[in-house]
Amino acid sequence: MTKVANPKEKKSENESKIWQFLCSVKLAVIIIVVLAVSCVLGTVILQQLTPEEYVAKYGEVLTKFFTAAQFTDIFHSYWFAILLILLCVNLGSCTVKRWRNTVLQIGFLLTHISIILIMIGCFIDLQLGEKGGVNVYEGKSVDYYLRRGDYKKIPLDFEVFLDDFIIERHPPKFRLISYVKDKDIQKPLSVKVGEKYNIKNSNYSVTIKDLYPDAEYSQKPVNISDEPVNPAVYVQMFGSSDIKAEGWLFAKGRNWYNDENHNMRLEYFWVDNEKEFEKLTKTAEKGLLPKLGIVLEDKGIDREFVIETGANFTIEGTEYKIEIKEFALDYTNRTKPLKDQLVNNPAVRIEIVGPEGSDTRWAFSKYPDYWDKAHQTKYKDIRVACKVPDDFTFASNKMRIVQNQNNEKVISYIENDKVIKVVNWEIGKKCEIGGTGFQLRIAKYFPSYSVQREVVKKSDTMNNPAILVEIAGPRGKVEDWILGQTPATWYPDNNFALLYERSGMEIKDYKSKLRVIDNGQTVLSKTIEVNDPLKYSGYVFYQSSYDPEGEKYSGLQVTKNPGIVVVYSGFIILCVGVVFIFYVKPFLRRKSNKKER
Amino acid sequence: MDFMLNITFYAFILGIVAYIVREVWRTGTMRIIALGVLSGALLLNTILVLMRWFEANHAPMSDKFESFVFFAWSIALVYLIMELVTIFIIKVHGSRLGIVGAFQCVLSACFLYCAIGTDSTIKELPPALQSNWLVIHVINYFISYSALSISFSAAIVYLIYRAIYHGKAQEIVMKDITFDKLAYISVTIGFPFLTVGLITGSIWAKGAWGTYWGWDPKEIWSLINWLIYLAYLHLPLILPKTKISKSFRPILLSIILLVAFPTVIFTFMGLHKLPTAGTSDHIYAE
Ligand code: HEM
Repeated sequence: MTKVANPKEKKSENESKIWQFLCSVKLAVIIIVVLAVSCVLGTVILQQLTPEEYVAKYGEVLTKFFTAAQFTDIFHSYWFAILLILLCVNLGSCTVKRWRNTVLQIGFLLTHISIILIMIGCFIDLQLGEKGGVNVYEGKSVDYYLRRGDYKKIPLDFEVFLDDFIIERHPPKFRLISYVKDKDIQKPLSVKVGEKYNIKNSNYSVTIKDLYPDAEYSQKPVNISDEPVNPAVYVQMFGSSDIKAEGWLFAKGRNWYNDENHNMRLEYFWVDNEKEFEKLTKTAEKGLLPKLGIVLEDKGIDREFVIETGANFTIEGTEYKIEIKEFALDYTNRTKPLKDQLVNNPAVRIEIVGPEGSDTRWAFSKYPDYWDKAHQTKYKDIRVACKVPDDFTFASNKMRIVQNQNNEKVISYIENDKVIKVVNWEIGKKCEIGGTGFQLRIAKYFPSYSVQREVVKKSDTMNNPAILVEIAGPRGKVEDWILGQTPATWYPDNNFALLYERSGMEIKDYKSKLRVIDNGQTVLSKTIEVNDPLKYSGYVFYQSSYDPEGEKYSGLQVTKNPGIVVVYSGFIILCVGVVFIFYVKPFLRRKSNKKER
Repeated sequence: MDFMLNITFYAFILGIVAYIVREVWRTGTMRIIALGVLSGALLLNTILVLMRWFEANHAPMSDKFESFVFFAWSIALVYLIMELVTIFIIKVHGSRLGIVGAFQCVLSACFLYCAIGTDSTIKELPPALQSNWLVIHVINYFISYSALSISFSAAIVYLIYRAIYHGKAQEIVMKDITFDKLAYISVTIGFPFLTVGLITGSIWAKGAWGTYWGWDPKEIWSLINWLIYLAYLHLPLILPKTKISKSFRPILLSIILLVAFPTVIFTFMGLHKLPTAGTSDHIYAE
């Protein structure tokens, strides 16, 4: 009997061969390997691009091949699905076929069943599951979500209300980064006071000498030479007991201080000739007064009048009459008495009466053209100026601190433009000034005043830290403070830099206070956060993103996974199965082996 | 910290030397010395991990620096446990593990060396990483990777021996050089942890992102690793039915392991090199 003669038998033999192959480990290994290779392809070939992008990236020929072989979306392709089904069939059939009802095979049974379960669960989720996202604004609710992929609006039969959205942040963190330019090496250094770091592959080293958690620059006055380049004195004015005022006066800069409250003016002079010295100490000239300037260019008129409220003038050669209505040293505080106003924004209000009637305007000393530009004025040909000296004061008491090249130091006390008394002063000593009730102390004298920037500690909370570092390198040691968030600090050879910068990842957590409203009633409320979602009616709401700008809305991920129970059962069974096969079974085997012996 | 790191690194270098000497000079004393050096290095590494834990205030395995140090630690720990079990519980000849200890020290030293060159500043955990699943997931993976690294070393040793005793398979059996078996046992130890790691990662992803499997490159490569070892474990079932000669079979299996572990390392630290890395939630830029 030949095989050809019995076609029926041949068929059954063939069938059993297919069945055998379907049950074989050979097929299993083949599937496993093919799956692994597909996975590699799926991460090496870019997935889910548009056809144009594929052509641009891989060229025509490859694109055609990829599209034909469904390599452009491997994990959602037909052949991949077939592969997975084949895997399940292979697993199922072999498990059934090989099952011999012995304890030792429990693991084998469990693992194989679990994988089938996981596949089934995934399939259920794929068919019946939902996935999407929705943004909810604070104080608002949503009753829909947008499906992933096509962004279709899918209605929910309940509402999710966002009561509150909270972003919690970590206190700011800073890191120190070193950079060697010629080697292009960046290395972060941890900031520990007292620690020394040798920068690898270079001859630089960095020592952290001090740290202020919260620091700022401050200006510190210093004297840089004994030559009188920029003479300055630090003056303290005492009342009956306490300091009424103190500060620096500069002979070549701002050399005066007006104290309207105490009807007092301080002046400081440094002179290098006797005549000037005599004049300053022995005589007193009248202080300059505020003046009103009137200019009529086409008539060639340019006049000045002392400002006194209520004063009237006629301008000769014109028909204009001018009256000074109001004067202020500080326009914004003009309702206060003049004596209480500081010379901030002096202005004068005048009324011009002419052929076309009267016209009122303010003239500002700092903004001479302002009124004319901003308002309609009748008499455009008249230009009005308010002229107030910077150091103008109503004070009738004046203390003039004078110093000369021979180190003579005197204070002249001037009252109502008359020198009343002249006393000598010494650094650090209080001088009694006549019957004024005031004392002066020249606390410091810097012939060459200058300022030095200095880092000072502001508080102990990590806010804007500064570190004192010493950098050693080919040009010796340099020491400097580095503040956070300032540009890099370079070593003198311009090849090594340190940057102290704020590092990211500040967000500690984001949370949404959600409420589920079903049929008009709140049925569930929960504060969700990353890793802790809200579950309702088969849907799960995950905290997934937030409004990066205003922090006003919360991004929720919405999912429905009806197959998840199956998947998770598969997970658990798989865990039990593998542990049984590889940890329990060997022991059982050894025991039975021993018994046999 | 830097100082401790360097010291630990050199301790592992010393461990390499000790295990090589032990292999050449198979005395009981040498065995104890090698074990002692490894224990010392592990102790130092443990201190490093604990210090970091204390300083960072989170489980020390959440950024590159921390995972390098932790990986070095788990490689040493798993190997030490394995050696102690072979000596005291299974009570087989103490040098069954042979030169593998030296290889494991090399691996630990390598990862510490990587750690030395890595940004060690403590970073705040982003919200997604603030989960207990992170700890369970990562610990499972590191135990698994450590066991699989032993299989890698054993496969190398096996192939080297096979090259030395070329064509004399009988001799290998006689010399009791069973590194292919050691490799297989290591995989069976590591594979369950790999499975649990994969599953816990999936559960964690579900909690944090709402998807237990999203075909993310990191997920895919974890699956690839799992599939490779799965294939390795099923292969012995079919090899007897194939035409592959009996003496070549362990070589084939060893070669698979030789490929498998580098893919594990690639999954651990090389995924940013993938063209699809930009689409991943889990791969942070270098
Ligand atoms: C965690 C996963 C898995 C584990 C731990 C595992 C374990 C095992 C074990 C221990 C056996 C031997 C059973 C025995 O004969 O006593 C086996 C057999 C088998 N496995 Fe798996 N397996 C797993 C996954 C898979 C997968 C995914 C496939 C699918 C393609 C598969 C296909 C097979 C086949 C076809 C056999 C039959 C072997 C025979 O001829 O007895 N296994 N598996």
